[in-house]
Order: sequence, then structure tokens, then C-alpha cells
Amino acid sequence: MLAIAAAITLAVGCSQSEPPPFRLNMVEMVSQETSDDYQQEIADVLGALFGTPDEPVALEETGLDANMLARSAGPAWSDEKGVQRGLYRKHCVHCHGISGDGRGPTGRFLNPYPRDYRQGVFKFKGTYTANRPTTDDLHAILNNGIPGTAMPAFSLLPNSSVESLVEYVKYLSMRGQLETALISYVYDELGEDDDGGRIPLDPAADPEQREIVLELLAEIVEDWEAAEQRTIAPDESQIPSDDRTPEEIVASVAKGQQLYHGKEANCYTCHGPTALGDGQQNEWDEWQKVQQKFLEETNRLAKSIQERASQDDQDESSEARLEEDKQTLAKRQEVVDTFYPIRHAIPRNLRQAFYRGGQRRLDIFWRISAGIAGTPMPGSGPASPGATANLSDEEIWNLVDYVMSLPYEPPSRSQEAIVPNKDEIF
Amino acid sequence: MNRFWGFLFFLVPVGGVATFAAAPYFNIWLPRDISEHGHAIDHLFFFILWLTGVVFIVTELVLFYFMWKYDAKANKKPAKFTHGSHSLEVVWTIVPAVTLLFIAIYQMDAWASAKMRPPLIPGTEEMISPTVEVTGRQFNWDFRYPGPDNELYTQDDIFRTDGKLYLPVGEKVLLRITSADVLHSFFLPNMRIKQDVVPGMEQSMWFKAKEKGGYDIVCAELCGWGHYKMKGRVFFLSRAEFDEKLEAMRLEQNTMRVAALDEED
Repeated sequence: MLAIAAAITLAVGCSQSEPPPFRLNMVEMVSQETSDDYQQEIADVLGALFGTPDEPVALEETGLDANMLARSAGPAWSDEKGVQRGLYRKHCVHCHGISGDGRGPTGRFLNPYPRDYRQGVFKFKGTYTANRPTTDDLHAILNNGIPGTAMPAFSLLPNSSVESLVEYVKYLSMRGQLETALISYVYDELGEDDDGGRIPLDPAADPEQREIVLELLAEIVEDWEAAEQRTIAPDESQIPSDDRTPEEIVASVAKGQQLYHGKEANCYTCHGPTALGDGQQNEWDEWQKVQQKFLEETNRLAKSIQERASQDDQDESSEARLEEDKQTLAKRQEVVDTFYPIRHAIPRNLRQAFYRGGQRRLDIFWRISAGIAGTPMPGSGPASPGATANLSDEEIWNLVDYVMSLPYEPPSRSQEAIVPNKDEIF
Repeated sequence: MNRFWGFLFFLVPVGGVATFAAAPYFNIWLPRDISEHGHAIDHLFFFILWLTGVVFIVTELVLFYFMWKYDAKANKKPAKFTHGSHSLEVVWTIVPAVTLLFIAIYQMDAWASAKMRPPLIPGTEEMISPTVEVTGRQFNWDFRYPGPDNELYTQDDIFRTDGKLYLPVGEKVLLRITSADVLHSFFLPNMRIKQDVVPGMEQSMWFKAKEKGGYDIVCAELCGWGHYKMKGRVFFLSRAEFDEKLEAMRLEQNTMRVAALDEED
């Protein structure tokens, strides 16, 4: 028996599975009608500039640290000294996916869905709305997790591991952003040459294309680097003092309540008149909106095909277009079939006493001042340093006081149930 | 050849004893006990281990003896069948029943002290106020300290979600434990204490640590695909250090300024 088992094992072998490849952003590719040839060429360009999941490339232009990337990339294993490697695959890939698209195997069972890094948009950060997060912002998310979601805290990992993961997230994000930029570039600029042939995307062979691609990359990298200086520092003169009297705090809360129900901040329209998050609930966040639009467009196309197909009098060119559209519809349907159920962005219930993006007063200040990037939550502070704002810093601190007092108002406190054996329950 | 199988059965108690004897040398034994109450749990563990161990070895040896002695090749006498022995049946029902009853009563005090006798404010019937509220969620442990007013669910509560729990050493501490979504179990191996947390149910856990240091918090009730990595770390500090730490956490929660940016490198 043992001999048979040994023989089978030897025959089958002990080979490892193929290293996983990055996945293409099919929503962007299909909605911008990128042909299969261009898809392959874009994948090749990304491969040359960013490498593979097992062997990442950190181009000097990106400013990324190759050693940190190497620790996060590749299969999960630990070396003789016990240093853990392949951190991304050990801790993150099952939700966030090999390409950082938020579509790992466990992603579909979560509410909210895991973050898709490829747009470079992150919700919980301390920078102005349109800016990228800083390294510290991402580090804070990894350290504290996001309560209310499935994102756990990783503070028990060594600090170097967390730093390495932050670097890898930025790497995946830059890669995803460049992919979208290349898709648009191919759609806008390339196409047919004078002889009717296809202009291939080949920066290695074409110096002009090379320059443009590197420029696209430089723009993306610059955004990330600029963000490090874009943390919103509340105006010192408007920060409430640490030793306010109870009357001052009460006054601030009352002011905040006025602002909450007022027209400049308009909080109640989404968060509801009682701050339970039951105002409007019909909007989508950025990541869902892209899918929703793609789905609506696909449904429109399907309807139009149906209408045209039922018509009897079709000339040749209409027939040809109908066939083309049917093929496009098939491709779009393939992409739609991969979507998770599309969900609305539900405004937060403010009576819960804990907050997703951080529990500090400063974190709440940032949420109100810069809004939450990628979501319908708008910023009421300046959109960039020195810009005019809906609310002054002082007013935002009033709102912070109001919001943080909401969970402790009498209406927020649940009535204690009076059960007969209350004294016996521990 | 047939006695070979009997011999294999003999190896079972031998292997069993060898495994238990060797385990401590491979560090596969009980975690270090730093709690006041843990010795009672460990004592019960060893008592039951010895009791069942001895019974097990005796039973296996008797089984081996019969397999060896009455092996078909060596023993040609025909088997004698009996209609059973009533007194034997009575004996081997009563003895285990009494043993189990004994164990049930023997452990009552350990159970009661961990689950039924919460630390009370001296002279009253009220529980001492909780030191922290622990909330298990998929897949993280979140902590809520009562803050300077020493009362949970007031505005000065301190929230920590980084999986690091701080508690004072040498004092009886009461924890409120609950779940945000599904069943979890808050397990402190070095304190010999665990309790399943049920969403919506208000539960408490109490213990007293005797040594400072950092120890594991693990989840002991299957809660989903992340159950295996739902870890935390509990740090026992002296009362003064604990108060300092709480104050530092309170100040951090009240942060209104951006930390000084690092020097340009």
C-alpha cells in the first residue's frame, strides 16, 4: 500500500503552481473598446515598468523602495532568520486581490467591499480631497484597521512589515492608475496610421511613445509625492483650547447642531434629520458608480440591439453594425457577469460612537473638512491650501463637537430592558 | 502474523505515554500561567489527565493481553460463550458514574469562581466597574476604555482598534465582552480563561494577573475565514504605568493638531 502511494506521489510530482499574473482592468478596457492586441501590449508595457506579482520592479521614476516591495511581493514564506516574506499574499491578497482590485476570493462576501487601489483613491486620509493619501495615512489604516468593516488591524506585525505593505499598496495603486492612463492614451492617440494599419503601442521601439508613457507615469508619481506635503493642518488659532469650560463645550455643540441642520453644510440631507444615516441613500461611491454606469450602458446597448434586430428592413451597413454591436455586447456582458452586487453608498449612522477612519478629533475634523474621497461625502473645508471654504475651521470644530456628542444624547442611549432575572445575569 | 496486530494495539498506550512525556521538551505543553486563578484549572486538567490516563493504559493493556493470549493461531481451545454477568455490568456502570459525579462536583468551585462569582465592590452586591469593554468583530478585537470618569458608554471613552489591550497587573479586573457580528470567543491562554461572545448579550469576564508582560489574545470560536488570524496582544502593566498609558491614549484621541512633520531627509 505504501509502495503504491509512494509511486503515485513520484509520478504526479511536487511542482509548485504557476506564479499568478496581474489581472487587466477589464471594465476600463472594454468600456474604451481596447482591442485584444492593445490589451496585450498594455499588459507588456505594465510588465516592463512594474514587473510581476512575484518580481516587482521599482523604477527610479516611481520613487518606490525596491527592498520594501520585495518583502511584500511573491509567495508567502519565512527565511532562516524567521523574517516573513510575501507579506501581501499572506495578509492582503484574499480580499484585495492580486492586482489590488478588491476582488480577492473573500471580497464578494464582505460589506463594504474591499478597496480597489487602482484608481489611487483612498477614503480615510488627512490630505485635501483631491490629493492622494500620505504614507502615514496608509500606515495608520494598517495599524488600526477599519472598525465596522472587515479590515483588521496589523499593528502586531513588525513595523518594517507594515511599512513594506504600505509601499506595496502604493505600487499597486500607481500601476493601476498607469493602466487606466495607457488605456485612455491608446483610445485617444493611437488607432490607425495613414495606410489603415494599426499603430502598435511599443514604447521600447518608439521614442515618442516612450516619452509620453514616462510622462504619464511621472504625473501619477508626482501626485503621490505631492500628497506628502498636503496634510490638512487645522488653523492653530481656531483649534479649541484643551481646557474649555463645560458651558463653552455646550455652546460649541449647540452651534454644531445648527450647522448640521443648516444650508452651508447640508449634513441632514444625507445623514438624516436624526443623524441615523437615513437621509438620501440613492448615491454610489466612485468604485460602484463606474460599475453602475457600465451596467447601464450595457443594458442600453442590449435594448438597442433588440430593437434593431426586430426591424425587417436593414441595409448591409446596418447589419454589419448590428453584428459588431452584438460582439461588443458579448464582451460587455462577460465583464458585467464578474461584478459583485452593486450597492448604494449609505450615509453613516452618526450615533454609533466609533468611526471608521480613526477615533481622534483630528480624524473627524479631516472627514468634515475634506470629505471622504471617492464617496458622496463632500468636504466643507478648503479644497486646497488657501482656497475658500463653506465652513471655517472653527465651525468645523463645532461640528466635530456635535457629532462626537451624538452617541451620548438621551435618544442614542438604548433603554435598559427590565428582565425579571436581571440580578442573576452577569 | 496475527499476534502482530495485538502488538500494534500494545504500541498505542506506549505511544500515548511517550507523547505526553516528551511534549514539554518540544514546547507543546500548557502555556505559562500568569493568573491567580489558573492553578485551579491546571490542577483539574492534570487530575483528569492522570485519572483518564491510568484507566486508558490499564484498559489498553488488558485489551492487548486478551489479543495476545487468545490469538487464534496460538490458542486452539474453542471459545466459551456466556450469557453475561449482571454483577459485572452493575460494577462497570456504577464505578464510572460515581467517578464522573465526583469530577462534576470537584470542579464546581473552579467553575463558579470563573463564571459565577464576579468581583464585587466590598460590602455591596454590585460588580466592580469594568476596566474595558472588548468587542469581537470579524476579524479584529476592538477595545473601549471607560476614560477618566470610570464609566463606560460616556463621552470620554477611549477607543482602540489596534488589537493591543492594556490592563493593570495584580488587580482583579472586570471586562465587559461582546460581539459586533457573529460568535467569537475571547481567549487569554496565559490566564486560563475564555468566554464565547454572543452578539447582543452582555457578558463579563474577570481575572487577576500576577505578572507583567505581553501575552496572546486569540479567538476560540470559529467565526469565519479569518478566525485563525484574529489575534490580539494583552499587556499587563503596573497600576501607575496603566494610568499613564490611559492618559496617553486619551490625549491621542483628543488630538487636534497634525504631528510635527519629520525633518526632510
